Formats: sequence, structure tokens, C-alpha cells
Amino acid sequence: MSLLLQLLVNGLLLGGAYAIISIGLTLIFGVVRIVNFAHGEFLMIGMYVVWLFAQHMGLHPYAAAPLVALLLFCLGALMQRAIIQPLLSADGHIQIFATVGVSTALLNLALMLFGADIRKVDAVFGTEPLSLGSLTYVSGQLITFVAALLIATALHLFLKHTYTGRAFRALSQNRVAAALMGVNVNAMYVLAFGMGTGLVGLAAGLISVQYPAFPTVGSYFVLTAFVIVVLGGMGSLPGAVIGSLFIGLIDSFAGYFVGPDLKEVVYFLVFLGILSIRPTGLFGLGRGSE
Amino acid sequence: MAHLLQPRAYVALLALLAALLIPIGLQSSFVFHLAIQVCVFASLAVAWNIVGGFTGQLSLGHAVFYGIGSYAAGLLVAHFGIPPWLGMFAGALVSMITALVIAYPTMRLRGPFFSLATIAFLEVARLLVIHEESWTGGSAGLNVPLQIGLKWMIFREKWAYLLVAFGFFLFTLLISWMVRRSRFGFYLIAVREREDAARAVGVNAVNAKMMAAVISAALTSLIGSFHGMYLTFLEPSSAFSLEMSIQIAMFALIGGIGTVAGPVIGAVLVLPVAELARGWLSAFGNGTHGFVYGVLLVVVVLFFPRGIVGHLSERVLRIVDRLPRGPLPQKELITSLRPSFHLAPKGTPILKAVNLEKRFGGLRATDKVSITLHAGEILGVIGPNGAGKTTVFNQLSGFIKPDKGTVQVLDASGVWVSPSTPEIFAKAGVGRTFQIVQPFAGMSVLENIMLGGFLHTPHRNEAEAIAQEVADLTDLTKLLHTEARSLTIGGMKRLEVARALATRPRILLLDEVLAGLNPSDVVKAIEMIRRIRDAGISVLMIEHLMQATMALSDRIVVIDLGRVLRQGKPEEVVNDIEVIQAYLGKGYTHAESS
Repeated sequence: MSLLLQLLVNGLLLGGAYAIISIGLTLIFGVVRIVNFAHGEFLMIGMYVVWLFAQHMGLHPYAAAPLVALLLFCLGALMQRAIIQPLLSADGHIQIFATVGVSTALLNLALMLFGADIRKVDAVFGTEPLSLGSLTYVSGQLITFVAALLIATALHLFLKHTYTGRAFRALSQNRVAAALMGVNVNAMYVLAFGMGTGLVGLAAGLISVQYPAFPTVGSYFVLTAFVIVVLGGMGSLPGAVIGSLFIGLIDSFAGYFVGPDLKEVVYFLVFLGILSIRPTGLFGLGRGSE
Repeated sequence: MAHLLQPRAYVALLALLAALLIPIGLQSSFVFHLAIQVCVFASLAVAWNIVGGFTGQLSLGHAVFYGIGSYAAGLLVAHFGIPPWLGMFAGALVSMITALVIAYPTMRLRGPFFSLATIAFLEVARLLVIHEESWTGGSAGLNVPLQIGLKWMIFREKWAYLLVAFGFFLFTLLISWMVRRSRFGFYLIAVREREDAARAVGVNAVNAKMMAAVISAALTSLIGSFHGMYLTFLEPSSAFSLEMSIQIAMFALIGGIGTVAGPVIGAVLVLPVAELARGWLSAFGNGTHGFVYGVLLVVVVLFFPRGIVGHLSERVLRIVDRLPRGPLPQKELITSLRPSFHLAPKGTPILKAVNLEKRFGGLRATDKVSITLHAGEILGVIGPNGAGKTTVFNQLSGFIKPDKGTVQVLDASGVWVSPSTPEIFAKAGVGRTFQIVQPFAGMSVLENIMLGGFLHTPHRNEAEAIAQEVADLTDLTKLLHTEARSLTIGGMKRLEVARALATRPRILLLDEVLAGLNPSDVVKAIEMIRRIRDAGISVLMIEHLMQATMALSDRIVVIDLGRVLRQGKPEEVVNDIEVIQAYLGKGYTHAESS
């Protein structure tokens, strides 16, 4: 019983880390209608920057998180402005290739600059084991989990109650109609893309306490994030959170009962199963999001 | 063989030979290695292009088939001593089955979702190979036993590898070329561009996509088997890598997606540059060539999205055509096939819809509609906007399945059949046009019409002959070689009719072919519809242009609120009080009488 409870807690806490990454991905897809295959590489850059801050300035990852978020906001905004915006009305395969190209370039740039070695931040705060009854967990995981819920709530309120948030939602439903209502489409896209990658910056600060940086760390996390976002329905914020917790649980239980090397197989199969039944995900936006 | 003396043919052959002869002349082991890699990756890109280019489904998991091919051949050598020349076919078989397993559920996915699903399959395969350590060698990899000799596809000399690699390359290229030129290739491109319009001319979209996936998988797998023997070491992280999948697709994109030569040109130009960059920038260690690939990819999509072939082919071909012997003269068509319609006796039923019902949620879009079309007549279907005409129309051509009721068609052999899908309707002799025109924009007018012609013949020249003849009937002869996208709206509407006619229908369903035309085009179109009827084809037309409908139709059916309001001769229907009310409202009749 306590084992199951422990697996449950592990799964949910892990889901928290996935949630922050997935929220950014789903925001970009929801508003700009682009699947950003380079999302994971933004996370990787963030984690290296966090590591550099820690290594050279002794900055704790949590303290570095806002700075990294700002930096990644700028990088994301730049990518939207310079690469995605000119391709907005291009063929679908061109858009896919564009973000795949960015992903490949960034991943290999990291390999050139830092090599394949793993870079781990030595932080004390956030790595203390804590226990509650028979349950054990690491404090950083709990912090990440709480932060994920706070960020999701804040984003939800932002989308519901601010002009910009309403503009985002309007754009996600009908780009042309939103433009006719005076929404500055390109500016909003730059903002949304930047926010999406900025969130990844926060995630980088939060998870760097537990996970080391290496060139392919982004692909490791983002493939999972893709699964989550498709499960939750591309563009759906609650879907991304629920999907994250769901995949966190599958990860935790499949890792124990099926075997740690096959847990990804389990959730990729779940993913493929759901895609073939509902091509737009469980809470998809329906037509047009295909 | 006279074709070989044509410039386009001999330039292509010389280029291919150069790929073989330059390395053999240079005798440098680095150049040999480069040439082998170019052959392998060009073949992979050509094979990928059959799915990614011709059908437009951007697979980013193609390394799955490469991996299966290399592992199948490697494992069969290592465990059972079976030579790779046999093992590669086992691998190809497994790959083909895998392709079916992947293609079936992912068929409906579009764009990035399809790509994501293929990546997921790739990951599953990689993780399973790592998991099955006992016989695959797991993540540590698998060494292929070094038995040297032709039988084992492992050689001491690099030139021997090059010859084999070149053979695989030629084979792949030949298959791709054959696919592109065949009816099947036309169908793939039609499905990519407009699935609905393709189905309306009788293309089974699902079968076409599956077939392409299977061919592409088999080719990729065969090349994978060879490459495994060349590398003599297999590991899951490189054989089943996303990076390789991206690389394969990238060569095709850079060269020109959807063309036969594009993937080859992409690999020939990019691979050596990246390999050299790896040498020059070796101070930066790993990742250099990957970085080059990534940057190149972004530059290409931003500035040359149609690839090298797309942007340069016309200019290059013009230069090539100036070489001795000049361009091929437009060859005369061998035969002119007069369509032979099996005519039902005039005035007897040829299409019967009985009690059709269709609901969309709470909306009763079609309510007990029965329509009969007689042989040799023009039946006009009219009704106010939103009356449900197009919904009925879609049920008559298989695009919407009625909730209740039946649609029966008298087929060519005089038997009543009840087709279920658009392609079966097309085969039963029902052609249709779309209200919103659906040209295959990138194809020429001729190729558009040929797509219809392919319903009854797999041969290009016969399809072309049918197209010529139909073009004559639809006033398109002068425009045959223009791209469909540059036609006027009148031209596009006539092209819709032409494509449907090329399927040699006995029943033609026309959906507002007169709408949006200028007066002189309307006159042309009316004459065209009469010519069609006089050729023995029964026509059912939806139309808003009242005068034209009155003038053309032998009978008229009025639909309002999803029901048949009236049917009869034009002059009876037009004076019917209920019909006038449906169009103009009750107030109008009162105003008239007062």
C-alpha cells in the first residue's frame, strides 16, 4: 500500500516538472498554430545557462530561473519574428522543417560548445530528502510541483482576464477574424512564442536542481511533452496540466511494474493509441487544429 | 533506345556515371567513403520522398525501416549465418509489415501530428531493441561478423562497396521514377493535393497511401541492410535515430521535395559539404556537421522552400535542351479513343435515390428526398440558399452517407448497384464536380484531366488521349499545358467538368458550374452542358442561375428545407405558387395578387 502511495506521489511530482514544459508548448501551438520541434532545445539552452550562472557566479538555479526565463523569452520572440513569421502562410511541411532545423542546429551547437559531458549544478537547497510518514521525496520536486500549479493558474487567469489573454484566445480560434477586430497578429504571436519559451526558462531553473544539462536533454523531455500536449489536446491549458500528471503517473507506475527501460514504450503506445482514435487529442480544439 | 540520345537523358546518365567514375579515378579512400555515403543517403532520401514527397506525409521516423533493415541483415548473419543478400529481404518484409502497422492508424493524421506519431514509433522501436538485449546486443550494439566476400556483402576494397552501393542507388531511383510516371504516382500527388477531388475521380486514397508507405519502407530497409554491412557495427542509438530520420528528409527538402531528382541532388550537394565541414571544424569536435545541417535547413525553408530543383530546374533544363539533338518533339498521340458509353434507353431511370434522410445534430438537412434521373436528360435541382441541395448531392456521390434511404446506380453492364464510397461511385459511372473548385493546382490542365482518364486505363498515353478528347468537349484544348492554378474561374469550372468527364461517366453531377461566371463564360458553359447531354451522358445539375437552368433542364426538382417541394417540367415548376413562396416569401404572392 505504501509502495503504491509512494509511486503515486513520485508520479504526480514528476508530472509537475513536465507540466511547466508542456504549458509553454501548448501555448505556442494554441496561439501561433505551430508545433515547435525546437522546444526541447530551448529547455537545454536554459539548463546550460543555469549551469553557467551556478558555476561562474554561484547563483542558485531558483534565483537564476527568472533571468533565464527572460533570456529565453527574447530568444523565442526572435525565433518567431525571424523564422516563423515569414513562414506563417507557407505549407505545413515547411513549418515543420523550420523548427526541426532550429532544433538540429541548437542541439549540435551545444555539442560543439560543451561536448557530450553532463553538467550538473551542485545545489543544496532543493535536494534535501524529506519524508512524510512512510513517503519520501526530494524538496525540489515539491517546489517544482507547486510552482507548476501556480504558473498554470496564473496563465489561466491571464488568458481569461486580460486584453492580451483574450487576444490570444481569439487568435487561436480565428486568425483573420481576430485581425479584423484590431488584434495586432504579428506582435501577439511574438509575445505568445516568447512566453512559451520563457516558461521553458522557468522550467530549466526549477529542474536543474535534479537533472544535469547535456545536449540531448531537451529531446528527452520534449518528446514526453509532445505526448502530453497531444494527449491533453494541442492548445489546451488544462489538458496540458492533466496530461502531465497522467504521464507522470504512467512513468512512475510503468517504471516500477513494467521496467524502467520500457516506461517510455508504454506511454508512447498510449499516445499512438489515442492519436489513432482521436487525431486531435483528448481535449482537442477540433477542426483546424489537425 | 533513341531516347538515350536526347540531351536530357544523356546528361542525366553522364551525371550518374560521373558519381561512379570520379571516385574510382581518384582512388582516395576518403573519396570512396564519401561516394558510398552519398549513394546510401541519396537512396534513403529517394525512398523517403515516395512517402514524404509524393504523398506529402512528412515522416520523421523513417530510420525505423533503416534500423530494421540493418538489424535484420546483421542478426541473421550473426546468429544463423544467413548471407545479407537473403537477410535483406527478410528485413524488407518486416519493414513492409511495420509500415502497414504504422500507416493504418496514422493515416488520418495531418502535418505535425503525423510527424510526431512517426517519431513516437521510432522511439518505441529503439527502446525495444535496447530492451531485447539478449539477442540484439542492446545499447552496446552488435558487431557484424567479418566474413569477407561478395556472399557476405563485406569487402576489403572500397571500390567494391561503391559498386554495390551504386547498384542499390540505381534500383531505388528507378523505382521512384517508375512510381512518379505511373498512374499510381499521379494518384499519390492527387491525394496529397486534394483528397476529396481525388476520390471523386475514383482514387482510393487509403490504398494509395498504404502502398506508398510499403514501397518506401521496403526500399529504405534494403539500403539499411547494405549500410549495416558496410559499417559492420550496429547500435540502436544511430540505427534508430531521429537525427538520421531528419537528415534523410532534409536532403529531399533541399534538393526539391516531390521530384525524382531532388533528393539525389540534395544528398550529392549537401553531404560532402557537411563531411568536409566536419574535417575543417574538427576543433569543435562532434556536432559540427549536425550544426551545418540545421542551419542549412532553416536557410533553405526561408529562402528556397521549393528546393534546388524547384527553383532551378526550368533554367537548367533550358540549357540542357540546347545541347545537340534538341528537345523531344511533342509526340503525336497514337490513338484517339472514342468513349464507348453503354447507353441505357433514353428516358429510363439510371440513378435512383429513395427516401434519403440525413441529420446533422438537430438539423434535418435531408428529409425523405427521392430523386430519379433518367437516361439522356438534364435534371435541374434548384432551391433557395440552405435548402439542402449540396447535402443531397454529396449523398448522390458517396461523400456523405445517408442515415436512411438508398442511392442506386445503373452500372455499365446494366445492373443496379449501391455504391458506398466516392471512389466506388466513380467506378460505377458517376462523375461529379465541386461547387468550390478543386483543381490540382500544381499540375497542368492536361495532367488534371488525365487523372480522370486513369480510371479506366493504367497507361499514360491512353489517359492522355482521353484527356485530349475531353478537352475538346470543354473548350480547354488551348490551355492544356498551362498550370491549373493560372486558369480563370470559368476555366477552372470547365476543368472540374473535364476531369469528371474523363472518368467517362454515364451520369454527371454538376454542382453550380455556372455560378460566378461572366456572361460569355456562361454561354460557353451552357453550350458545353448541351454537348455533354448530346454525347449520351445524363446530367443532374444544381444551379442558382434560374434562366440558364430553365433553358437547359428537361425536368426540374425544387428542394426546400431538405424536402422535395415540386418536380416537373420547367414551365410548370416556375409558376408554382409554393415554389415562388419558397424563394420570395409569402408576402410576394400577396403583393402580386393585390
